[in-house]
Amino acid sequence: MMLRLPAARWIVLLAPPALVLVLWWFLSAASTSVFFPPLSKVLDALVRDLMNGVLPAAALFSLGNLFAGLVIATAVGIGFGLLIGETERLRLSLEPLIHFARSIPQVALVPLVVGAFGLGAGPKIATIALAAVWPILLNTIDGVRGVDPSIRRVSRAYRIPALLHFRRVVLPAAMPQIAAGIRVALPIGVTVMVVSELFAANQGLGYYILHSASKFMLPETWAGALLVGLIGYALALLFIVVERRALGWYFRSGAK
Amino acid sequence: MGGGAPVVSGLGKGLGIALQAGIAAVLLLLAWQLAHGIGAFPAAVPSPIDVGRAAGDLLGSSRFWTAVGQTLSVALIGWAIAAVIGVLLGMLIGTIPLLEHASSVLVEFGRSFPMVAILPIVILIMGANARMEIFLVALSCFWPVLVQTIYGVRRLDPAVVDTVQVFRIPTLLRVRRVLLPAAMPFISTGLRVASSIAILVAIGIEILTQTPGIGRQITLAQETAHWDVAFAYLFFAGLLGWAIAGGLSAAESRALRWNRRREG
Repeated sequence: MMLRLPAARWIVLLAPPALVLVLWWFLSAASTSVFFPPLSKVLDALVRDLMNGVLPAAALFSLGNLFAGLVIATAVGIGFGLLIGETERLRLSLEPLIHFARSIPQVALVPLVVGAFGLGAGPKIATIALAAVWPILLNTIDGVRGVDPSIRRVSRAYRIPALLHFRRVVLPAAMPQIAAGIRVALPIGVTVMVVSELFAANQGLGYYILHSASKFMLPETWAGALLVGLIGYALALLFIVVERRALGWYFRSGAK
Repeated sequence: MGGGAPVVSGLGKGLGIALQAGIAAVLLLLAWQLAHGIGAFPAAVPSPIDVGRAAGDLLGSSRFWTAVGQTLSVALIGWAIAAVIGVLLGMLIGTIPLLEHASSVLVEFGRSFPMVAILPIVILIMGANARMEIFLVALSCFWPVLVQTIYGVRRLDPAVVDTVQVFRIPTLLRVRRVLLPAAMPFISTGLRVASSIAILVAIGIEILTQTPGIGRQITLAQETAHWDVAFAYLFFAGLLGWAIAGGLSAAESRALRWNRRREG
């Protein structure tokens, strides 16, 4: 759909970000402030550390943790969500607890988990998963509950085995809602990823930012922050593309 | 409203659900205590009894209430700043389609940017203090409010837009009586999302820096291996977030009753 946009729309779309970059470039060009280095220096640092492998290694560590955490959160969230959503009793008794757990500011877990279990990837993955699981779980429960009762009746009338019923009836019907949950979980995961690395780490993007700032290498700090922003943005875009493809049937049906 | 029987049975059902939820909570605590007793958890995880005792102690300590006050006030100020700027800017962008289209990449970038990533820079510039914390909270809360306001304004009925134009309704009146109420259901969702972000970012900053508040207390408890205190703070942080979310959605459903009724 985007490709059919006329060129003018693309120009309007891309001109403001380009303008911001140009303004940043010229306004900071003569800057002697330690805190606001010229954009040219920031980009130099970005390109240099991308080329020498420092930033790719850091990004690989961070994104690996993020990905692992999100995969765990998604698996656990969908699994329990299907179970809880299908079992009325379970849902009624557990919902207040889940809502409470979701209300705990996720970053507050960082000192507990990372502080207790150390610097490695494991504790960071655990924190990301623990933070990202709640929106997925709650959305899965809602999605399961939203399945049309007549579809359920048909599934029951044909005595569809429980596993098949979950996999082919309930899961696809709940999928749009589950995708919405994952979309909410994504930025939470990114934030917790950064916080967990700013808190205590010896590698990763958060560490790169913190380490360079503590050495007053501000071009590197800005470069790291810029890269985190670009990654966050790219992930959000990527998710939309994947969602549109995987849930094409849903969007084509005109449902919103 | 026919008879009392359905009301009573509804009440009975509500009580039954509350009882079930209570039993589930107690069972969970029992399982935790049991797992702790047989040493299934790492040493850092305290027993629920310890956490309960620590929570009780906290309620009586002035340090706890100071920390809650600090976190709450910083989160509230940052949230309020973001709300005002976000709604105003959102209404401006949302009413001008060209502006909305032109700003979409920047808005999308801004809202997917984890603001804590610039924390080290902001600390260098502003120092580790409440002002810096408010700035970052406001910056993080700004985006959901902005995005929701744009959505809300955009869905305004074209017939209403035309009517307003035909009657030459003055801008201020239009904003106050047409745009704002029409966009309110979306704006309030944005404000609700922003409120949990406010608490999240405030506590996150306190954990990472020396800024006083709940987050700082959690880090202090962790550093001195007072795990029961850390868990108690975690519990209260959850209670705080839960109370704020609950309060806001109650206020929302009161303020937006007209909207529900029309749609329902």
